[in-house]
Amino acid sequence: MKKLYILVLLGLTAASCKKSFTDLSPQSSYSDANYYKTTQQFGSAVTAAYAPLRDVVVNDYLMSEQRSDNAIYQSILSNRGTAYTDREALCEFMDASTNSYNASEWQYCYQVISRANIVISRLPSATAVNADSAKYYDGQCKFLRALMYFKLVRLYGGVPLFLKEVKTPEQAFLPRSTVDQVYTQIVADANDALKELPAPAGFPQTGAASKGAATVLLADVDVYLKKYADAVTLLNTLPAMGYTLNANYSDAFQPTNKNGRESLFEVQFLGGTGTGVTPNPLVYYFLPRSSSTALVTGIAINNQSTGGWNTPTKDLIGSYESGDKRLDASIGIVEGTYNASDYFTYSAVKSVVGYTAPPSGKVAVAYVKKYQHATPAVSGSSDDFPIYRYSEALLLLAEALNEQGQSPLAPLNAVRERAGLPDITATDQATLRAAILHERRIELAFEDKRWHDLVRSGNAVAVMNAFGATLQTQISYLPAGAYTVTDNRLLYPLPQAEVGLNTQLTQNPGY
Amino acid sequence: MKPSMINLITQGEILRMKKQFGQPFGRLFLVWVLLMFFAVTAQAQGTITGRVVDDKGQPVPGAAVMLKGTTRGVSTNAEGFFTISAAQGATLVIRSIGYKTEELSAEKTISVILKAIATELNEVTVSYGKQRQREISGSIATLSTEKLQDQPVMQFAQQMEGKVAGVSVMESSGQPGRGVDFRIRGAASFYLNNQPLFVIDGLPITGSINNINPDEIETFTVLKDASATALYGSRAANGVILITTRHARAGDARVEFNSNYGVQHLPSNKVPKPMNASQFATFMNERYQDMKTYEGFTGAIPAEYQNPSQYGAGTNWYKLLTRNAPIQNYDITLQSATDHSSSTAIFGYQEQQGVLINTGTKLFSGRINKDLTSANGKLKAGFSIAPSYRLDHNNRLSTDGVGGLFERLFEASPLISPYNPDGSYVRNVYSSGMVAYINPLAIFNLTNDDYKTTRILANGYFNYEFLKGLQLKVNTGVDKGAESRNYYQSGQVTSTVNNPTGTSSSVDNGSYTAEAYLDYKRSFGDHNLEVLGGYSAQKFSSTSNTLTGLGFPNDDIPYLSAATSVTGSSGYTAYSLVSAIGRVNYNYKGKYLLQAALRNDGSSLFGALSRYGDFPSVSAGWIVSDEDFMRSVGKISFLKLRASYGVTGNNSFSGNYSAQSTTSNYYYDFNNVVTQGTTIGNLGNASLQWERNRQLDIGVDLSILKDRISLTYDYYHKNTDHLIMTRPMPTSSGFGSILDNVGAISLWGHEVTINTVNTTGKLRWTSSLNISFDRNKITALVSPGYIRRNNTVSSDYFRQQVGHPLGAFYGFVFQGLYKDADDLAKSAKYLATATNPNGVSDIGTIKVKDINGDGVIDDVNDRTFIGDPTPTFTGGFTNYLSYKNFDCSISTAFDVGGQILNAAKWAYQTNMDGSRVPLAAALNHWRSLSDPGNGVYPRTKTGTTAIGREVNSQWLESATYLSIKNITLGYNLNMKGNSMFRRLRAYASVQQLLVLTKYSGMNPEISLSGQDPTQGIKVDEEGYPIPRTLSIGLSATFK
Repeated sequence: MKKLYILVLLGLTAASCKKSFTDLSPQSSYSDANYYKTTQQFGSAVTAAYAPLRDVVVNDYLMSEQRSDNAIYQSILSNRGTAYTDREALCEFMDASTNSYNASEWQYCYQVISRANIVISRLPSATAVNADSAKYYDGQCKFLRALMYFKLVRLYGGVPLFLKEVKTPEQAFLPRSTVDQVYTQIVADANDALKELPAPAGFPQTGAASKGAATVLLADVDVYLKKYADAVTLLNTLPAMGYTLNANYSDAFQPTNKNGRESLFEVQFLGGTGTGVTPNPLVYYFLPRSSSTALVTGIAINNQSTGGWNTPTKDLIGSYESGDKRLDASIGIVEGTYNASDYFTYSAVKSVVGYTAPPSGKVAVAYVKKYQHATPAVSGSSDDFPIYRYSEALLLLAEALNEQGQSPLAPLNAVRERAGLPDITATDQATLRAAILHERRIELAFEDKRWHDLVRSGNAVAVMNAFGATLQTQISYLPAGAYTVTDNRLLYPLPQAEVGLNTQLTQNPGY
Repeated sequence: MKPSMINLITQGEILRMKKQFGQPFGRLFLVWVLLMFFAVTAQAQGTITGRVVDDKGQPVPGAAVMLKGTTRGVSTNAEGFFTISAAQGATLVIRSIGYKTEELSAEKTISVILKAIATELNEVTVSYGKQRQREISGSIATLSTEKLQDQPVMQFAQQMEGKVAGVSVMESSGQPGRGVDFRIRGAASFYLNNQPLFVIDGLPITGSINNINPDEIETFTVLKDASATALYGSRAANGVILITTRHARAGDARVEFNSNYGVQHLPSNKVPKPMNASQFATFMNERYQDMKTYEGFTGAIPAEYQNPSQYGAGTNWYKLLTRNAPIQNYDITLQSATDHSSSTAIFGYQEQQGVLINTGTKLFSGRINKDLTSANGKLKAGFSIAPSYRLDHNNRLSTDGVGGLFERLFEASPLISPYNPDGSYVRNVYSSGMVAYINPLAIFNLTNDDYKTTRILANGYFNYEFLKGLQLKVNTGVDKGAESRNYYQSGQVTSTVNNPTGTSSSVDNGSYTAEAYLDYKRSFGDHNLEVLGGYSAQKFSSTSNTLTGLGFPNDDIPYLSAATSVTGSSGYTAYSLVSAIGRVNYNYKGKYLLQAALRNDGSSLFGALSRYGDFPSVSAGWIVSDEDFMRSVGKISFLKLRASYGVTGNNSFSGNYSAQSTTSNYYYDFNNVVTQGTTIGNLGNASLQWERNRQLDIGVDLSILKDRISLTYDYYHKNTDHLIMTRPMPTSSGFGSILDNVGAISLWGHEVTINTVNTTGKLRWTSSLNISFDRNKITALVSPGYIRRNNTVSSDYFRQQVGHPLGAFYGFVFQGLYKDADDLAKSAKYLATATNPNGVSDIGTIKVKDINGDGVIDDVNDRTFIGDPTPTFTGGFTNYLSYKNFDCSISTAFDVGGQILNAAKWAYQTNMDGSRVPLAAALNHWRSLSDPGNGVYPRTKTGTTAIGREVNSQWLESATYLSIKNITLGYNLNMKGNSMFRRLRAYASVQQLLVLTKYSGMNPEISLSGQDPTQGIKVDEEGYPIPRTLSIGLSATFK
C-alpha cells in the first residue's frame, strides 16, 4: 500500500515537474528566439519595415504640406475635439509639444527605423540567409532608415540616433544626437543602400527600394548639405536605370500606372476589403467633410469625421502660370453649401482652370485632385503616395547645377515642357534659384515637400508671415495669433510624451 | 444533560477503538496497555475510565475532567482517554475550550460527547483544507450565504457588497450580469489584475466568475493576509476568495425550490438633466447672438434656433432608451445524504433583462456534488460537475465610458424625432452646430450582438487515510469554457453609412488543475501538529477565431453567408503553473498557535531566469482567553491575538508570452501584390520577474458578554515591489511600451468587524458592522518617477507618482471665470504668446492657477495634483431581525471620504460649443459683464472652451455615499401538520434601494475600468447606472 501511494505521488511529481511544462512559446506567432533564421523570414521582416511608411504619409501632410502656404484646413467650429484642434494648430503655427499628430509622425518614422534596425542588427549572424539576399535586405533597410532620419532631422533637428535593435527598456532611452551626426548617418546609410540595391529590373517596378531610390535620396541629402557636385553625379546616373518622365503630369498618380518609369520611390497602397489590403484614406481626408462625397469619389463616402484637410490655398492656385496643365491635374473645385455644423453638401464639381466664383448661395472649396481616382472601397483607394518622382530628380539636378553656377535649364525646362509651359531662358543664378523653387512648389504640390523647401531656402519666416496676414483677410475662422512664424517654429517640438519620459532629451527652443 | 450524550461502553468497544486508533503505533499500544490497566484497576478502586470525543467522533485532547465541587481533576490524553479516581455516581464536570461544558454522573466507563460551541470550533475552509476557526492565526473572514439568498442578483459578488471588512466590492456598472469588481485591502498592483483569486471547492478558476449561480454557494472564505493566502503563492497578492458550494450533510433528504421575480428600474433622481428642446434651442440661439456680439459673426442664426419657444420638451432620448425590466430567478435543489454518501443537485434559471432597451442576459446552470466515504471511513472520494450556459444579448455593446451609449444619450438632439414620418429610423440626430451623431435608439435596435457562453466546472477528489492521521489527497479539476459571438449591425447605423458589418467569433478555453499532497495530522499530548506537503500543476489554454464580414446586400440575412467579403484570424495561447507546497500547523494546548507555509511556483509567464519564485509565510496566534489568569475576567469569553508575515506574488497580467518578444504581421502591398510582413510586434522582457508582495498582519479576535459582542480587528501593512506595469517607452525605440517591473507601493490599513447580538428571545436582532481604513502610497517608480494615464491632456486624469497615492488626480486648479477686464489683465492666460497676449482666454472663460508663475497657462507646466480618490474609510452595516415567523435583513455599504472625478459631466455634458446637448444647468452661463451667469459655466466664445474639457479641480466631487444595498422582509409559513412542505417562506426584497450621496453623477461606485487602478480609480466617464430592483420570492422545502 505504502509503495503504491509513493509511486502515485512520484508519478504525479514527475509529470508536474517536467521542465517543459512551464516552457511555453507562442504558437500563433513566432517568438524572436525562433524567428529571424531563414531568407524568407528576413524578407518578411523587411516587408514589415515598409509598413509604417503608410502611417508616416498619413500624418506627414499635416507636418510638411498643410503647414506651408500650399494648404489650409476647412473650419469645423462645431467640433473642438483635439482630433480637430491639434491638426488645425499644426497649420496655424500654434501647435504645442502635446500635439498628438506631431507625436504620431515621430512615432511612425521611428517605427520604420526600429524595424529596419532589427534586420540590420540580426543579418550578420543569420548564417542561413544567402549573401545576395542579405545584401538586398540590408540595402532596403538602410534606405528606409536614411529616409526616415532625413525626415526627422528636417522636422526636429538633432534626434536620438537609434542604430541597433532595442531589446531592453534601458536601451530605449537615448539622448539627442547633433544635426551633423544625424546627417553623417543618413549619408552612410544611403551610400550603403546605393551599393547594395539593384537598379529596377523592369517597369513597373516592384515598389521596393531600388538603387534609383537610394540615388535620389542621397542626392537630395547632398543638396541639403550643399554637396552639389556629388548630387549632380548621382542624379545623372538615373536615366541609365530607365527612369524618365511620363508623357502627362497626371500619369504619375494613376493607380494603374504606379511604380512606373517616373517613380523613384512611392508608398504603396492597395484598396479593397480582403485580408492584407492597405487602402489609402488620404483621398477622403483631402475633401470637404460631408455625409456623401459621391460627386467626387463616385461612391458615397461619409468623411464627416475625417475630411476637411489639406485644402489648396488661393495663394497656390494663383501661383500656377497660365496654361500650366498641372493645375487641372492637381486641384479641383467642389461647389456646395455648408450647414451650421460645418458639414458640406456637394452640389457640383468644377474645373479650377478659369474658375471665378460659385453661383449665388453656394460655396466653392478647392480640393486635392491629383490623388482622386476610382475608389474601390469605403476605407480608401489604391493611390500610392509619391516620395520621389523623376521630375523631382530633374529639379534637384537643376538646383545643384545652378548652385554651382552651371546652367540648370535643361532639366528645369524638361519639367516645364511636360506641363505645357514655355522654356525659361534666364541665366541669373538668383532668378533661377527662385524659378526652381517655384517649379518645385507647383510640380510637387501636396507631395509633402513644400514646408521643407521653405525652410531650406530660408524663406519660411517671411513667406509664411505674409501668407498668414493675407489669409486673415480671406477667412474668418483663424484664431488670433495664428501664423505667427518665428525662427523657433522652423523646427517642431519634440513630442511632450518623449521629453517627459526621457529626461535626457532637451526640448527645442520656444516650446 | 441529555441522556443520549452518555453511553455506557463495553470493553469490546474500547477494544475496537484501540484497534482503530492505536494499532500502528507502539506508543499508542502502550497507552492502550495502560488504559487496560486502569480499566481493570478502576473497577477495583472506584476508578472511572472514559473517553471524550466531539460531536463528529473525533477525540478531544486536553479536556479537563473534574470532580464536581473539588479541585481534583485530570486531563484527557491525545486520544481523548482519561482516568479519574472517583466514586461511582459522583458528578464529573468535563470542560474544554470551545465546547459546551458537560456534567454527568460517573459510571465505570463512560464516553462523553462534547458539543462544539459554534463560533469557536466551526471548521472553516482555508487554503488546502479546513481549519477550526479558533486555531487560525491568519486573517480570514467567512461569510455564509444563508442570509444572502434572498437578494435578487445574478452575481454572487453583489451579495458580498459591504459584508466583509477590507473587501471592497463595487458595482461599477449596472450592465446585466457584469460590472462588479473586487478589491481586497486596496489591491496591490498598477497593472495586474486586482481581482482576487477565486477558488471553487479547491479548484482555482481561470475563467470569468459571471457564470456562477449564487444559489450554488454555501460559504465564502476571504483570505486576506499573507499567511492565509501563502499556499496560493504567486496568485495570492490580491487575496483569495474560497467558495464552497452546497454539499448535503448526513441525514439530509430534501427538495428545495426557490423562486424570485423582480422589476428593475432606474432611480430618476441622479439622471443628468440635459437641456430639453426649447432649452437647447434657446442656448444655441444665445450662442449665435453672442457670436454676433463678440466675434463679428454676420451669418443668420440657423432656422431651427430662431424660435425656441416653438419646441416643448422634444425628444427625451434617455426615456426612449431605458425601461423597467424584469429579473427572475428559479432554483431547485435536491439533497440527500447518509453516513457514507452525499448528493446535491442544483438546477437554476436566471434571467435579467437590461434597463437599457434590447439588452439582457439569461443563465442556465446546474451543479451536481457527490461525495462518498468508504465503509471503514478511510477512503473519501467525490466529484462535482457544474455546467452552465449563458446568453448575453447586446449586453456587451459599448455602454460605458467615452463613446459609450450613456454618453451618446446626451449627444442626440432633443429637437429631432428618432423616426421618419414613415416610421423608419432617422440616422442623423444632430441639429445645426452639433457633431454628427447617429440615432442611439436605432443603434440599439438595429444591432444584434449575442454571446453564448458554455462553461463546465468539474472536479474530483480522492482522499485516503493510509495511517492514522496520514492522508493522501488528490484533487483534479477542469474549468472548461466555450464562447461564441454573433454580431450584426445594420448599415443604417454603421459609422460608415451603408456598411453593414457582421462578426462571427468563438473562443474555446480551459484549464486543468492537478494536485496531490500528503496531510499528516497528529497530537502528541498537548502538542498538535499538522503537516502538509505536495505538488500542484495547472495549465490554461485558449484557442479563438474571429471572422468579420462586410458587403451585406441588405439586412435580411445577418450571418456571414450573406457577406461578400469575409476576413478572419485565429489564435492560440496558453500558460502553465507548477508548484510545490508545504505547510506546518502547530499548536500547544490549542492556545499557542503557529503556522509556517511555503509555496514554490514555476510559471510559464516569466523568462527562464526568473521563472521560479518562493512564497513563504509564518503566523502565530495566542488564545489569551484560555489562560488561567483570564478565567477571572468573566466578561471576556474569547480573546485571540495573532500576527503574520509573508510573501505572496501576482502574475495575473494579460498576455501569456510577455517575457518573449513575439511577432506580428504587417502588410505592405508591393505593386498591388498583397504581401505579408512579419517582425517583432511586442517587445518581450526576458528579465521580467514576479511582483512581490510582503505583508504584515496583526489581529485581535475578541468576544465578550457570552459572545453577545464579538470584534475582529486587523492592522496590515503591505509592501509591493517589482510592480509589473506596461511601462511607457520612448516611441523612438520603435515600441510604445514594455511590460516591466516599474516600482513599489506601500498599502496599509485597519479593519474592524463588530458582530453583536442585540436581543435574543422572541425578537432576535443581530448586527454586523465592518469598517476598513485603507491607505496607499507609491514609494518607487522607474525614471522619470511618474507614469501618466495617457498623453492626451483632455483625458490625462491622473498620474502615478512617487509619494502620491494610486490614481491621484492631476490637472489644472480651477479659479472660477475671469470676472472682468481687470481680472483678465492681472491673471495668467491660457496659451498666451507675445503676439497674442490673451491667448485663448477672455472675460468669462475658465481661469486656472498659474502653477509655475510664468504668466502663461500651458498644458505642461501648469497642471498639478488636484485630488485623491482614496476613501477615508469604507464598510458596511448589516442587521438581521426575526420575530416569530417574520424575519428582516437590511444591508448597507458605504464609502466616506475620497474624491470622484466627474469627467462625464465636465468633459461632455457641459460642452459650451453646442456640439452636444449640455446640462440644463449650463443655461445659466456667462453672456456679458452684466449677465455673468452663476460663475460656474463659462461663455460660448469660439476657441475658448477647450480648457473646460481638460481636467481641472472643478471636476472633483466628494465620493462619500451610503447605499442601502438590500432590504428583505420574509415570512415563514406555519407548516405544522402540512403534508407537503417542511418549510415555506415568502419574502419581498429591494436591491439598491437608495444611494445617499452628494455626488451629482449617477453612480458613486463608478470607476473608469472596474477597479483597475491603472485605468483610474473613481473616474466617472458615464457608466451604465445601477437599477433598483423590487422583487418577491418564495422558497419551499418539501417533506
